[in-house]
Amino acid sequence: MPRAIRGVLVECDPSIKSIIMKIDSEDHAFVVEDLDDGTLVIKENMLSILKMRLDEALKETQQPPSDSGSD
Amino acid sequence: MPPKRKASSNVRGGAKAGRDSTASTPGPATPRSIGSSDEFSSASESEKERVGQTIKKFSVDEYKAKKNATSGGGRDSASHHFGNSDFSYLSLKPDHDNRPLWIDPKKGRIILESFSPLATHAQDFLTTVAEPLSRPSFLHEYALTPHSLYAAVSVGLDPKDIINVLDRLSKIPVPENIKEFIINCTQSYGKVKLVLKNTKHYVESSDPQMLQTLLKDEVIGPLRVQGTEDITTTSAPKMAGLVIPGTKNFAGVQQSIDLRGSTKPQEGENVGQEDIVAALNEDDDDEEAEAVHAFEIADAGVEVVQKRCLELGLPVLEEYDFRNDQANPTLDIDLKPEAQIRHYQEKSLSKMFGNGRAKSGIIVLPCGAGKTLVGITAACTIKKGVLILCTSSMSVHQWRAEFIRWSNINPSDIAVFTSENKSRFSGSTGIIVTSYNMVSQKGKRSYDSQKMMDFIQSREWGLMILDEVHVAPAAMFRKVTSTIKTHSKLGLTATLLREDDKISDLNFLIGPKLYEANWMELAEQGHIARVQCAEVWCPMTTEFYSEYLKQSSKKRALIWTMNPRKFQACQFLIDYHEKRGDKIIVFADNIYALKAYATKLNKAFIFGETGSAERERVLANFRFNDKVNTLFLSKIGDTSLDLPEATCLIQISSHYGSRRQEAQRLGRILRAKRRNDEGFNAFFYSLVSKDTQEMFFSSKRQAFLVDQGYAFKVITHLQGIEEMPNLAFSTPAERRELLQNVLLANDDELDFDDRGDNMFHTMDGRTKAKLKKKAVARRTAGALSELAGGQDMAYIEQNKIKNKDMKRKKGESNPFFKKLQRDQEKRKKALEEL
Repeated sequence: MPRAIRGVLVECDPSIKSIIMKIDSEDHAFVVEDLDDGTLVIKENMLSILKMRLDEALKETQQPPSDSGSD
Repeated sequence: MPPKRKASSNVRGGAKAGRDSTASTPGPATPRSIGSSDEFSSASESEKERVGQTIKKFSVDEYKAKKNATSGGGRDSASHHFGNSDFSYLSLKPDHDNRPLWIDPKKGRIILESFSPLATHAQDFLTTVAEPLSRPSFLHEYALTPHSLYAAVSVGLDPKDIINVLDRLSKIPVPENIKEFIINCTQSYGKVKLVLKNTKHYVESSDPQMLQTLLKDEVIGPLRVQGTEDITTTSAPKMAGLVIPGTKNFAGVQQSIDLRGSTKPQEGENVGQEDIVAALNEDDDDEEAEAVHAFEIADAGVEVVQKRCLELGLPVLEEYDFRNDQANPTLDIDLKPEAQIRHYQEKSLSKMFGNGRAKSGIIVLPCGAGKTLVGITAACTIKKGVLILCTSSMSVHQWRAEFIRWSNINPSDIAVFTSENKSRFSGSTGIIVTSYNMVSQKGKRSYDSQKMMDFIQSREWGLMILDEVHVAPAAMFRKVTSTIKTHSKLGLTATLLREDDKISDLNFLIGPKLYEANWMELAEQGHIARVQCAEVWCPMTTEFYSEYLKQSSKKRALIWTMNPRKFQACQFLIDYHEKRGDKIIVFADNIYALKAYATKLNKAFIFGETGSAERERVLANFRFNDKVNTLFLSKIGDTSLDLPEATCLIQISSHYGSRRQEAQRLGRILRAKRRNDEGFNAFFYSLVSKDTQEMFFSSKRQAFLVDQGYAFKVITHLQGIEEMPNLAFSTPAERRELLQNVLLANDDELDFDDRGDNMFHTMDGRTKAKLKKKAVARRTAGALSELAGGQDMAYIEQNKIKNKDMKRKKGESNPFFKKLQRDQEKRKKALEEL
């Protein structure tokens, strides 16, 4: 008997997709199907958690590093 | 290395600009004693404070106290939008429309409406009393700082005049706390001068009271030379008679026989000028020779007195009365008649020689705007022994060549002191050009250089020119300035900023900033090239970005540099500009990326390890060969490399958030030869990988240039990049291969730092030996097949290094050698036959 999972299609920049994949790589709890560079399907019930995690990760990428070059 | 090229002298500012310059230079110092009583109380209060604290006190704390004092005023319904910066309580003057200045009473900022008819005058005045912060096209921002006021005092302005002029130009009455700030700062600064006269140091002041307090001080008092009369009184020097060579006044003076004749340029120029600044000069001229008082101090005590005075909140000004210096022989040097200095150079020099004496300080001019000529003119004005410190041995030779080119100095009077060359001048006085490394070297030196150092330290110098003054750390300056006896110091730089806070130390070690040119104004007048700046945003590919997220910070930098989209953008831009006929320089800090880009795109490149013969060859080809239009440079090319042919600059990787590097790199194209062509623009591209930290660094780096009025356009998509034939890394397979290579690049290759900071840097033997790494065994992970030789791969060099093509083919040998060869063969044959 076929099993169905409710999913959400996410379209985003390749870089954002990379971040999502990275988050997913820890426990594979989010992504249902990786379609291409800019689209993937994620589990519907995990959407809000993913959003939160993504926001955190984005903050990190833009964060000013402490050891800025000083010459 | 091409010699430093100077713009032809026919590009001169209009007559108006020339007039402004004389007007903006304040006349002789006429310090007035305003409230001298409370000055002493403030001095004694701070008596216990140490040097560092003194600096702090004068900038922040003191100021905050005043801030609080002026809070209050009416608040209305809109107030909450402005928070603490609601200035609605300030009253506008009825004719505020005609006045160009806004004054922020909280921060001491002055906003100038640069479109106002009075703006040019206001600008002249503001550059004297305040520090320019930001100068885009319509609104300029200046900050009143203790240092800037110190500089203003050092050119002879006095607080009452500053406040008067501010009041005249301001839309609002000058706030009380600003007035107080100005008076306090100016009182403490510059009232005491340290003068070298006949090789003796004098502490000088126009206020005898002040000297008495200094004498009573427990540190300074005993340092006074005993047996001399208490305080000597002489008349103050006048600007009249001193003419900076190369200026318009100079041409007139040369015709009359006596150079110190009765020509009074100051007054002559002032007549008919109705601007505000001139007005205050005029009343200065009224007062004839004001008395100054001085007492002598021992040579050894100079340092101590300087420090002590700083602690007392009375930093001493150093001035050099070179015209009355009979002890040091005069150097026969003058600018050649064809050397015409530009109006802004004249303006900067007139600040230095404001009252007929040479003041120490720093002059800030953009790259390519003629800093060398300013230095030479200063030397020609002082006409005493000159010591020049530069950053590398290559610029040492450039300075010497420029001196010979622009002045009539006897070539034997100008000597060079580098690790290879230790000559001395022939006469009793002369010029020595050397590098920072040579004079500040610690430890043992070779016999020759020790002898040379002794010679330098044993004599007295009229002027010390410090080229690229921002690079040298403060500790080195202290060492240099304490060991070498020099009357005045002139620092030259394009970018008076460092990412650390050491720049403010220069204020005390060399002197205040005397002049800072407006980049945009110079570009408009054609002295430097107009530049279009653009930031190109390159998206990361998925593979690269996922890898970026995983890697350590060091590898990350390589990944964002090697981003294939960036590579494509670079390729596209090179192609586009080569077709336009531009000569392109591409900067990459990372050596690995530099090599990868240059070999893939088949372009010439130079980095730290490139041999000097190869460098010369590549540079010559870049300059003169039509087929070589692109050159990749590592950061060794950031400074002092002069390539006037270059008209386009692409930056693919950079040193984190260094604003200075950005500005210095931009400087490489400011000299563009073709800058005076109709509608000519130079181009500056900075390639940035999106969603990485590079974006953050990039915005930080641009801060300085944005403040100078440059606008960065953001390009998110390069039109037509997809249609470009042979675009590199267009297939995912190629990109994956690139990523593999990047990840395999071992840490050695990743080394961000290029050996040798400068392109033509030669280090002395000792330091070089230290830098050489000891061979240490190293373990790396690898496959056995690598050791076996080659993972079923054969070596083919597909991307040949372009540099090699430029090697000169072995030409026909000289007939003489041919004959020699023939003879040899004959002899061999004869021997065999025997």
